Amino acid sequence: MRIQYKVDGGFAYFPGLHQPVTIEADELSPEEADKLERLIEAAGFFELPAVSPPPPGAADHFQYTISVTTPERSHTVRVTDPIGDHHVRALVDYLEEKTRESRAAP
Amino acid sequence: MHQQVGHRHSIFCILPPDVLLDIAQTGTEEEREAALNTLAADTTFRTLRAIRLAAPVAATAQAEAAVLGQKRRTIYDCKNRMPEPGDQVDQARAEGGPATGDSAVDEAFDGLGDTYDFYLDVLNRNSIDDQGMPLEGYAHYGRRYNNAFWDGQRMVFGDGDGVLLNRFTIAVDIMSHELTHGVTEKEAQLIYRNQSGALNESISDVLGSLVKQFKNGRQAAEDADWLIGEGLFVDPSHGKALRSMKDPGSAHERDRQPAHMRDYVNTVEDNGGVHINSGIPNKAFYLAATGIGGFADKATRIWYAALRDPRLKPNAKFVEFAQLTFVNAWNLFPEGREAEIVRNAWEQVGIEWGSQVGSETQRGERREIT
Repeated sequence: MRIQYKVDGGFAYFPGLHQPVTIEADELSPEEADKLERLIEAAGFFELPAVSPPPPGAADHFQYTISVTTPERSHTVRVTDPIGDHHVRALVDYLEEKTRESRAAP
Repeated sequence: MHQQVGHRHSIFCILPPDVLLDIAQTGTEEEREAALNTLAADTTFRTLRAIRLAAPVAATAQAEAAVLGQKRRTIYDCKNRMPEPGDQVDQARAEGGPATGDSAVDEAFDGLGDTYDFYLDVLNRNSIDDQGMPLEGYAHYGRRYNNAFWDGQRMVFGDGDGVLLNRFTIAVDIMSHELTHGVTEKEAQLIYRNQSGALNESISDVLGSLVKQFKNGRQAAEDADWLIGEGLFVDPSHGKALRSMKDPGSAHERDRQPAHMRDYVNTVEDNGGVHINSGIPNKAFYLAATGIGGFADKATRIWYAALRDPRLKPNAKFVEFAQLTFVNAWNLFPEGREAEIVRNAWEQVGIEWGSQVGSETQRGERREIT
C-alpha cells in the first residue's frame, strides 16, 4: 500500500512550503503499518468523496490531498481545514507527524 | 422581536436598546448582565430598524450612536485542539477585558481592534458586515499549526511550528488580512481560485497593509515598508516577511510572487496560485498609493469602492477589477489625477484596456463594463 500526502494553500503559502510525502507501507514496521491501515479503514477512506469543499467564503485554508493505492484499488481525497470527520482528522494528524519526521531525518 | 441565541431574559426582550444600555451601565450586576446579553445577542442593526417603528427617533439615534464604534471582540483559546463550529471552546478574552499575558490572545484581540478602527475611521464601515458584527478570533488552533485562516465566519490562528514560522498573530496585517476576507465575502464573493481568487487575496493584503500603516500613525505610502507578515519567519535569514507589495518576489528566499502579468503563474496548486498571483494586483495598489502620495486613504477608498461596485462579478479577472478601480477613482475624485495614476499603475503591471473606456467615462457617459 502506498500513501501520497500533499498540503497546499494557507496564508503563508509559497511553493516548497510543504513537501509532498510518500509512504510505502511495506517499508514501515509491522506496528506502524498496522496503525496506518487501521486509520485508513476507520476513515472509510475508499468511500470518502473525492473533494470535500471548504465552507462558503472560506480563505487561506490548508488543502490536504491524500492518495492511497493498493494492488486492488486506488483513491484520492481532498479535504480542507476545519476537517469535520474525526477519523479523517486522525489520518491527517498521522500524516503530518510523518511529514515532520521525514523533514527532521538526516 | 429579537432573534436571540443563548440566554434569554423575557422581560429584557421587550425593552428598547436605549433602556437596555442604561441598565447595562447602571443596573445591579444581574440586571447589567441580562441587559448586555440581550444587546449582544443581536449582531446587527436589523433589530434597531425594527424597533425604530415603535421607538422614538431620539432614542433610536442614541442607541445607534452607541452601537456604532463599539467593538465586540471575543478571543477563544483552542488550547492546541482543532474545534469545529459548535464545539465548546474556552473564552480567553472579551471586549473590555484586560490583557491576558498570552501573546497570541492579546495580539489577536488588539489586531482585530486595530482593523475595526481602521474600517470605521477610513472607510466608514462598521465591522465585517457594516452592521457591527461581533469579531471572533480563535487562537492556539492546532499544534505547530503554520497557518491562519477565515472559515467563512470566524478567524483562526495557529501558533506556527516554532522552527520555520512563528505564531500567526505576530503581525497586525495577518489579523486584518483574515478579517478582510469576511468583508470581501460580504461585498463581492470573489471566487477563491485563479484570477478572482488572487484578487480576493490581494484585497486582504491591501487592507492588511493599510491597517499596519494606519496603526503606524497614518504613515505616508512612500514611507511604508509594504511587507505582509513581517516577523513570521523564526530565522530572519530566511526572510523578513512573507510577501512584499512593493517588490513582489523579494520578501524571502522562496518568494515566487510575480509583479507583472508576463510572469503570471499558471498552476493547479493553491487554487490556481491565489497567494502567488496576488503579487500583481498588490504591486498595482502599491504603485497607485505611492503615485497619489501621502497616507493611502484615497487609494484604499478607490479599491473599496471597486470592491463594492455592483459591476464586480464573483469571477472577475484582474482587468475587470482594474477597470472598476479606474472608474471609481474618477467618480470619487473627478477633479484630480487619481484616475490617471490608477490606470498607469495597472499598466505598469501589464493590465491595460482600450482607451475607449477611459475617454467615454471621462466624458461622463455611463458605460457598462462587460
